[in-house]
Amino acid sequence: MTHLIVLDNEAVQALSDPAHKKHVRVISHVRVAADRKSRGLPIRIVVPTAVRVEAGWDRTEPAWALLNRLLIGDITLDGLNANIAASIRQDARVPVADAHIGAVIQATTAAKVTVVTSDPGDVRRVAADREVNVITI
Amino acid sequence: MDVLQAVDRITELLESGIGQTSNTSMRIPTALRDAAAVAVRELGAASSTTALTTAALRASLEAVVMRAVLDDHVRQHPEARPTLGDLAIAAAELDGHPLAGEPARIRQAAVEVEARHPDAEPEDVLLWAEARAIPAS
Repeated sequence: MTHLIVLDNEAVQALSDPAHKKHVRVISHVRVAADRKSRGLPIRIVVPTAVRVEAGWDRTEPAWALLNRLLIGDITLDGLNANIAASIRQDARVPVADAHIGAVIQATTAAKVTVVTSDPGDVRRVAADREVNVITI
Repeated sequence: MDVLQAVDRITELLESGIGQTSNTSMRIPTALRDAAAVAVRELGAASSTTALTTAALRASLEAVVMRAVLDDHVRQHPEARPTLGDLAIAAAELDGHPLAGEPARIRQAAVEVEARHPDAEPEDVLLWAEARAIPAS
């Protein structure tokens, strides 16, 4: 019963910058996730790699050390995800990063998916029929 | 070794792959080992007791890392420390809780709970907020 938490570009930006007005909000979600993980609940925070590109998150750059250390995992745009994302992009007319979020939502085997985003409308569009918990920041 | 050095070393080890294994002299309670064996054999909890133990240990280490990083972050940036109210709102949002859309109510509940229970958890706050939301009969 894994709970997958997906970050969008704005969530990544907010988390990376302590001066960002939404920083505490996203830190709070990460804190709750960490506390639940420590209680043995299967929960993962991930970032689609296309979102990482959009955000400028280079894991080799020291500026991104906080996010790297928080063990936020990559979900790569592999062949399967690329096919799904291409279809979503075609149908929903969304940027590549949003299409990749949609592919993650649609392809995951996790029991529950949450997306932390500044654009709930796009997330619901790319999720199609898949149930998704959307947190608007 | 300071906290971040320890975090980086643990992360490096967690990411270095699982190909190399070693026998360990770690002693665990016999009953715990036997319980794990039953969980694997009868409940299909994992492919083996080793896999079950390894997964649990990995998840535990990941949680330790995440919490240590967050603690270090708020030590360096005290303004980034979430309040109990912030955490309760985040917990509600992650759960899709009915009160997630009522942050003011959750914040008020957090103030009330924290006044009596300084070590309260976000879930305690949500329970209190929910109880307060039930109309008196």
